[in-house]
Amino acid sequence: MSAEAKGAAPPLAFSRASRWYGPVIALNDVTVSIPPGVTGLLGPNGAGKSTFLKLAAGQLQPSQGEVSLLGRPAWGSPEVFHRVGLCPETDAFWEQLTGLQFLTTLLRFTGYDEAECRHRAENALHQVELLDAKDRKVGGYSKGMRQRVKLAQAIAHEPEVLLLDEPVSGMDPVNRRRVIDLVRNLGREGRTVVVSSHILYEVEAMTKRVMLVHNGRILAEGDVREIRDLLDEHPHTVALRARDPRRLAAAIVGWPNVISVNFGAEGEWLTVETARPDEFYGALHSAALGSGVVEMYSPDENLESVFKYLVAR
Amino acid sequence: MPIYDQGYRRYEGRSPLHQIRFWPITREALRLILAKRAFLFLLAPPLGVFLFYVGRAYVVTRFPEVGRVLPSDGRMFGEFLNIQVFFTIVLSIFGASGLIANDLRTGAILVYLSRPLTRRDYVAGKLLVPLSLNLAVTLVPGLLLYVVCLALAPEQFAKWELWWIVPAVVAHSLAASLVVSLVVLAISSLSRSARVAGLGFAGLYFGLEMVRAILQNGFNRREAALLSLQADLQALGVALFGVVDRQLDIFWGWPLLVLVAVALGCLAVLRSRVRAVEIVT
Repeated sequence: MSAEAKGAAPPLAFSRASRWYGPVIALNDVTVSIPPGVTGLLGPNGAGKSTFLKLAAGQLQPSQGEVSLLGRPAWGSPEVFHRVGLCPETDAFWEQLTGLQFLTTLLRFTGYDEAECRHRAENALHQVELLDAKDRKVGGYSKGMRQRVKLAQAIAHEPEVLLLDEPVSGMDPVNRRRVIDLVRNLGREGRTVVVSSHILYEVEAMTKRVMLVHNGRILAEGDVREIRDLLDEHPHTVALRARDPRRLAAAIVGWPNVISVNFGAEGEWLTVETARPDEFYGALHSAALGSGVVEMYSPDENLESVFKYLVAR
Repeated sequence: MPIYDQGYRRYEGRSPLHQIRFWPITREALRLILAKRAFLFLLAPPLGVFLFYVGRAYVVTRFPEVGRVLPSDGRMFGEFLNIQVFFTIVLSIFGASGLIANDLRTGAILVYLSRPLTRRDYVAGKLLVPLSLNLAVTLVPGLLLYVVCLALAPEQFAKWELWWIVPAVVAHSLAASLVVSLVVLAISSLSRSARVAGLGFAGLYFGLEMVRAILQNGFNRREAALLSLQADLQALGVALFGVVDRQLDIFWGWPLLVLVAVALGCLAVLRSRVRAVEIVT
């Protein structure tokens, strides 16, 4: 990390930011700095992801705290918006315009001349594989095409900060893959990309840096590995399938690192909860040999279980 | 994380924050409205009225005896503009009732306001659409009519006593166009449907006019004119152009006050409704 980069303010920062709608708290006392690169915002529906992005985009005023965008308060600083691209979750376009007209009109706000607007609009449509449909009215686009044209308007002016709310929702697998690659490339170019989703594997495919949001709070943030390290301080689940599960259960139930042992519905699977997974795995070897363990996995190994675990806390 | 070592790609466009940053909004909306052939037909009646008044001006200036029956001074402009105000209503219903409603329905307002635009810019860009259309059927033909009269009878219209006609045409056209535009835009912001907004605007305008007619004719209350937007605008025209109208014979300050209050009310509605994110509590 360069010294200059270390001293620079993060492109996007929340400082004790809260937002509530009447009695409902949508985002609660969030403090976080988003560095350049892709950051995944994970959470179930209603967790506060969209509110987070709208606060970041300066489209909502924080009820409390501050949100800074490119060194300025996000709320009330439209002068920085030409450096920001927002792809909202809901449809947001004029259906009577063609895809090209839609993008060109929006690019005019960003200060380019007509030729540049058209060039950039076509380039953005090309990036989302919509160039062939540029002269069709947006109203006639399929769900996936609408998603892509929304993404195109967000990237057309080459913003430094991109805020993408569920960008691959409704896309077919081929376009989903393309958009995931596009987002990864945008991150590699040094842009700050915040991408929200409630589908974990989508985010995993785009980035390793994630923030987990639930009930308006940031539950955890960092690398998936960091979140797993956090997990190791807490009960860890291991599923074991053995030829003699009763013998295996009898062998391990008394271990100091085992919290609980449960039999699965068919009696073949054993679910073990351990407070110290490293010790448990170290001690398991001999017991596993004796009871004929044929299969073993930890549900906590994937991001889904991390998310479930943290949400359930 | 190594990503801190990567640099930004700087913005290369020219400054977007020029004085008329809302112009793309107006431009695109006018382009879409004027591309509709049906809408262009709506411009025919006001043009027809204008041509009728040009003919009338010709007749009254060429045949002075007709001028004894039909006024050929400032009152002619007052009558003309009061007719044209009706067309501003029609144009606003068909051209402007969906301006904000459609953006709210489609969510496009969020995309607009994520650009380097303030909410004030957004409203200004939208307001300029009906304002342009309305001025095109009030101010422009009003001034053209004056030019025609001046050309036909310079000895009559170039007199110092009639200096006030041009400022009166400008004032009445601006007042009527601005108030009508603000009302239709405010109503548009209260709905997500252009049709509902259009019906709401028409209902409000003609409904209040009906109430005025009932109260004035049934109870002989001249002040009832203040209830109707149309009567307020006409009363202002009566005062500006010296047209004789017994029903609108009220002190000009009152309708002016009502119109200012209506305009401020509309601005308050727009201020509360024009948001990128609709907040439901």
